[in-house]
Amino acid sequence: MNVHASFRKSAAAAIAALGFGLSPAMADNIVFWINSPLAAGPDAPIHEEIKAFEAETGHTVEIQPVAHMEMERNLFVALSSGAGPDVMALDIAWVAGLADAGLLADITEKAAPLAGEFQAGPFASGRFNQKQYALPLYTNNVALFVNDRMLAEAGIDKAPTNWQEFQEAAVAMTDKEKGTYGLTFGGGRMGAFQIYSFIWQNDGEIIDENGEVRVGDPEAAGAVDFLGKLYTESKAMPEAVLTAGSWDEVNAPFVQERAGMLVSGDWALGALEKGNPNLDFSVHPLPAGKKAATVIGGYDLAINAATSVPDASWELVRWLTGPRGIELMRKYDRLSAAAAATTPEAIAALPEELQPFMAQADAGTPRPVVASWSQIHNEIIASAWDAVLRGKSAQDAMTEAATAIKGLVGQ
Amino acid sequence: MGSDEMTVRTLPSGKLKWTWSSVFETGWGARVYPYLMVMPALVVVLGVVVYPVFSGIASAFYDVTLKTLNTGGVIFVGLRNFERVFADPVFLQASTNTLVWVVLNVVAQLVLGLALALLLHRAMPGIGFFRSGILVPWVVPSVVAVLTWRWMYDPSVGIANELLIRLGIIDDYHPWLGDTATSLYAVTVESIWKGTPFVMLLLLAALQLVPRSIIEAASMDGASGWRKLWYVILPQIRVSFAIAAVLTFILTVNNFNAIWLMTEGGPLNSSEILFTLAYKYGFKRFDLGMASAVATMLFVGLVIATTVYLKLIQAREGD
Repeated sequence: MNVHASFRKSAAAAIAALGFGLSPAMADNIVFWINSPLAAGPDAPIHEEIKAFEAETGHTVEIQPVAHMEMERNLFVALSSGAGPDVMALDIAWVAGLADAGLLADITEKAAPLAGEFQAGPFASGRFNQKQYALPLYTNNVALFVNDRMLAEAGIDKAPTNWQEFQEAAVAMTDKEKGTYGLTFGGGRMGAFQIYSFIWQNDGEIIDENGEVRVGDPEAAGAVDFLGKLYTESKAMPEAVLTAGSWDEVNAPFVQERAGMLVSGDWALGALEKGNPNLDFSVHPLPAGKKAATVIGGYDLAINAATSVPDASWELVRWLTGPRGIELMRKYDRLSAAAAATTPEAIAALPEELQPFMAQADAGTPRPVVASWSQIHNEIIASAWDAVLRGKSAQDAMTEAATAIKGLVGQ
Repeated sequence: MGSDEMTVRTLPSGKLKWTWSSVFETGWGARVYPYLMVMPALVVVLGVVVYPVFSGIASAFYDVTLKTLNTGGVIFVGLRNFERVFADPVFLQASTNTLVWVVLNVVAQLVLGLALALLLHRAMPGIGFFRSGILVPWVVPSVVAVLTWRWMYDPSVGIANELLIRLGIIDDYHPWLGDTATSLYAVTVESIWKGTPFVMLLLLAALQLVPRSIIEAASMDGASGWRKLWYVILPQIRVSFAIAAVLTFILTVNNFNAIWLMTEGGPLNSSEILFTLAYKYGFKRFDLGMASAVATMLFVGLVIATTVYLKLIQAREGD
């Protein structure tokens, strides 16, 4: 080795050490990106949990909260440039896209023996092309929030359990003179997320397990038609459905007691309580169609494919998704994705408002795990729903959506 | 350091002492010296302006996606990204919307800005207060302004609907941002409200340079208000007016915040402009090749506008 080559290597090592602030003793520093609600403030339970992890393993963890709406874009930019976190919390809908791009570490071998620890749906959310890329941190699904006072004033004594009761309740709570509506709902991608459960309830599919695009089927279009007509014909949704592009906007009419029902997940509980502490509401499983179904959401933990600390990163993922995860998520009023969290005893131990979510966990259905899911959801199905709200036939809108999705996935 | 220290020194012994600074005093050194002085600035400009621009343009000719970036599949694809952009029906809609968006913004901001400048170009008590007050929309951060307007446009509780109903202009609440027929115009109103004070400021400064004697002479000749404006005042401020027009054009084309924060280009792409479309290609679809293709087209348009702008500056210097 000549002097120049030796010098170059030494210089590169020195620059790398300076640049990354690493030394042999600090090699196990883990950078951890987490969705900001879980790290809101110094008293957030995650900090205590990380301290316990650090004390047990000797590793150090640098927590960096990132807003949900910014997370996907920031991960794309950071990971593509070779930087980014070692461990990241991911909305389950993003796993396929990032895995397809080769940005997530393959943990198939390590995760395989752990499958029994988790609920099947959430565990499957971390799998893409027969490989496991993530483990579930927490799960959620959508249920029906009902304003009990408005329901009683409409002369209905129990929350709807099927589509017919759901429609009747929505119409009964709608009063144009009072400015009240039966149901608040989202437009665009928010509404798209909400309609998936109804598509499956109607025996419909988005993309089936064989990869066939099915959103144009009559079952899927029928569900969209049912929901769309609650706005276009029954006028049981406020005009805000046309512009509601965030959960805050979807929640607002329910918080203000201008809408009697809301289809949302457990993340709405805190927002409703904060927005209107006097709101008299209860949570119920989604009204069933031909069958019960609810869309699975939640966050997974994954490891950067280019991490310099893969073993320590795996230790952190296991720590947070292992047995301690149930207790950690309980502190957040979130649902653990552990199989042990679905026993009757575990459900009974949950706060009352969370029990309906876990009680319908068996009906949880994952969204299709395809690389272009974000585009399918944000652009194609969101546009189809927007078109239906503006009077387009649901069958036409969903047929066009099916054609667009087929073009995207190469069918 | 005195200038004599920059030259070859004469020692007490009578011999000449060579110094580094003397290299740049004569011959090729003197010719190179100015270029060395601007070199640091040149390097910075090349690094932070020229390189990113050309890198962005180059991306328009490569298959740059989330996947290809990380799997080594970035290949030259010629004009394919442009073909894909042209094949996207949203592109045509975004182009049309961009044209409407720019024309409405530029025309309205210039007309209103000129009217306000003329109104505030007069001596009256409290004129300073009014001049400052009219700048408030321009000073308010974009995000604050947009969120305020979103609430004003709210289809259920927005003040815009309430006001229009009380004025008898509409009969019922209307989802201004949710209706595909009105969303682009609703955002345009916000953009005009925010951008007009800047135009007013430019034109007010120009008006204050117009010699009072010219206007007084026109008045003595019996010119009416409109004739004075058309034949006397506007020719006097024509360069500033043109500069305001070009700047408004550039700022409007680049006004991403207003549309993105109010409608994200929706509903159903009804308020999509080329800038928001490029962003969606880049950071929603993660297809940087298509995003760069749109950005390149926008860049070419803006270069033309900037060239016009520079020509106008030169014309003003020549006057």
